[in-house]
Amino acid sequence: MPINLKIPEAETREQRLGTITQWEGSAAQLARDSAFSYGCAKGCVTGGPEGGRRLCEQNSPFAQASMCAETIAVTNATIIQDSVVIQHSPIGCAASQSFTCRYYRDLAAQRGWALEDPQSLCSNLTERDMVFGGIAKLEQAIREAWDRHHPRVIFVATSCASGIIGDDVDGAAQRLEAEIGVPVVTLHCEGFKSKHWSSGWDVIEHGILRRLVKTERRNRRQDLVNVIHLGGPDVFTPLLAPLGLRVNLVMGGSSLDRLAAMSEAAATVTMCFVLSYLATGLEQEYGVPELKAPLPYGLAATDAWLRDIARATGREDRVETVIASERARIAPELARLRDRLSGKKGFVAAGAAFAHGLVADLRELGVTVDSAYSFHHDPSTDSGDPRQDSLTYLVETWGDIPHFTVSPDQHFQAHAALKRSKPDFVICRHSGTMAVLAARLGIPVLPIFYSNDGLGYEGLLTIGRAILRVLPRQRFYQDVASHSQFPYQPWWRDQTNPYALSADSSVA
Amino acid sequence: MAKSKLKQIAIYGKGGIGKSTTTSNISAALVDAGYKVMQFGCDPKSDSTNTLRGGDYIPSVLDLLHENSRVDAHDAIFRGFGGVYCVEAGGPQPGVGCAGRGIIAAVQLLKQQDIFDELDLDYVIFDVLGDVVCGGFAVPIREGIAEHVFTISSADFMAIYAANNLFRGIQTYSNKGGALLGGVIANSINTDFQREILDDFVARTRTQVVEYVPRSLTVTQAELQGKTTIEAAPRSEQARIYRRLAQRIAEHTESTVPAPLSPQDLRSWSAGWADQLIEIERKSQHLAVAS
Repeated sequence: MPINLKIPEAETREQRLGTITQWEGSAAQLARDSAFSYGCAKGCVTGGPEGGRRLCEQNSPFAQASMCAETIAVTNATIIQDSVVIQHSPIGCAASQSFTCRYYRDLAAQRGWALEDPQSLCSNLTERDMVFGGIAKLEQAIREAWDRHHPRVIFVATSCASGIIGDDVDGAAQRLEAEIGVPVVTLHCEGFKSKHWSSGWDVIEHGILRRLVKTERRNRRQDLVNVIHLGGPDVFTPLLAPLGLRVNLVMGGSSLDRLAAMSEAAATVTMCFVLSYLATGLEQEYGVPELKAPLPYGLAATDAWLRDIARATGREDRVETVIASERARIAPELARLRDRLSGKKGFVAAGAAFAHGLVADLRELGVTVDSAYSFHHDPSTDSGDPRQDSLTYLVETWGDIPHFTVSPDQHFQAHAALKRSKPDFVICRHSGTMAVLAARLGIPVLPIFYSNDGLGYEGLLTIGRAILRVLPRQRFYQDVASHSQFPYQPWWRDQTNPYALSADSSVA
Repeated sequence: MAKSKLKQIAIYGKGGIGKSTTTSNISAALVDAGYKVMQFGCDPKSDSTNTLRGGDYIPSVLDLLHENSRVDAHDAIFRGFGGVYCVEAGGPQPGVGCAGRGIIAAVQLLKQQDIFDELDLDYVIFDVLGDVVCGGFAVPIREGIAEHVFTISSADFMAIYAANNLFRGIQTYSNKGGALLGGVIANSINTDFQREILDDFVARTRTQVVEYVPRSLTVTQAELQGKTTIEAAPRSEQARIYRRLAQRIAEHTESTVPAPLSPQDLRSWSAGWADQLIEIERKSQHLAVAS
């Protein structure tokens, strides 16, 4: 079903893609059961014609996520330049904005923006507002945001509280937009709507697609490629500039002009298919093709990715030279890294397509990976194109991962998964749970905040070097472990099945 | 029939006033006249569309959402009399959860899946429970959903109080780009006196009566068979009245912002009518004794 931009609310990931957050098995089985191949939206048929079955959530008594979709939507709106975000929520929902300040300043330093705090307000809904309605407070907050900061755009993010009482946030936004004369974009991100935080990406991308992208495509810029990424340094320009392409780096901190220009680009690539809602929307609404090639993790995938971009932008004549020269450039160091990493065992923990990419990187570097831990799994993408099936691509290219755990970053499940795998090191995103846990188990850990680190040819070197920096710290981690205790009973401390508590688990 | 723009209508009224009966007869009359109609019941009891489907209950949108993480909106749409599309929002059991949020979730699901456009409907009629008690119940009258709202009221004071309260909700949203008031459907009107009370009320609140619908045994008989009057007794006088009502609603274009009475004004207004009522009662008793 196409993305529906007629209404202000984005459909949740569960509804659009059948996203799950709990699963245990092999990567090959998960790939087989996903909607790309044999899964179906209706009916729970075991053993379908191809041996697959509908991808069902694994039962677990503890299934809470460790983050909220609202945080993702709000953070990614706040780091858009010249914006003010208003959270129409109780003040507690705004606690995550202290993180956003740090994030924005870090991005500003990297991008050469003015080093300042981002602007955000909260309507501070109280008991009285819950009973009598909070719209007057929201209107006041929007006027206040305008008077104080004169932004180019105001985002209004909803909350569980405003969603339950049914405050007419869109009505207020329209009235105030007419009054102050800048776009007031609503973000419907009630946390209860989706069980996974990644739905927050869809919410902010929905808002951008509806309101901030130039609707008239006067100039089609044949040399401009939208790159949708999760934030971090621009590792793309060095790859695409030799092809004569310019990078329009969006999400993860963008200017409004960059967002507006997306509809004029020649193509869009996404650095993690979790964010591909925006790319699919750009193709659907503005005819900007979304490139579906596998993500550029590992040599062959990076080659294929560059060729796909070259094909879409008419640069096939140059691409082979770029590939050959890049491969030659990294070959000596890659060989050294492979030599030193060979025989090591890594454990990957990250979100969906990003996790699949990191596994590919590690295997390209000669690291053994028998376990991975993904924070959610999307059995499909918005385009529905099987080329975006990053898990199947991983399994077909690099072989199965016998222990593939999908968990919404649950500490106790990660503990069991690490006990089972006994890796030499852990590489992870969302470091709050996994990095600390691994350290306390005495395992060297490489936390990745900016997810561009492993991309492309250079990404292999970046990741390889970083692992080599971490591995010698074993003594330190063992020291940490010797002073650490876990709040689990002995039977769980020895448990190696993350889903041992599930009713339908094969291990009691 | 030429393709016309989808017209969305919301019908509100106090519980038990005959909302679903009237709405279902309007829907039945409109499909009978050749229109493509969806009736969308917004009541946790999920019984709005029963008489369009031979007395059958249908699974509601929220029943499906309760059982599945993904819902295809088509699974919540059922055909009834004359091909009318029937949808029930559904809701929680009494005493638990939040029925208002339920309506928001159900309406959003159908809109997200673009059902109204896909079915190429002429009319969507929302049959909404009772009062505008919270934001969720106001969803059908907000900007972008129904353009016209009608309230159903009898001459009973409690029903009029409820209608006046509804006008306050409508006033809130109609001033902000939401639905405007098309008028009052006067239900169970069998005497001139009842008619006068409602005429006076609509005059004071600056709206109009769209149709006077008498209480009729024909309706009860039809409902006992699980049918609308349009289906069960198509040639009856009552069916003729429902058809006229449906036609007026179909042709209705100009709605207005109502002027609800303040609680104080409403009290004194009803007290004035109550005095007259007592006077009439006294006279009739006097006559009875005299005879």
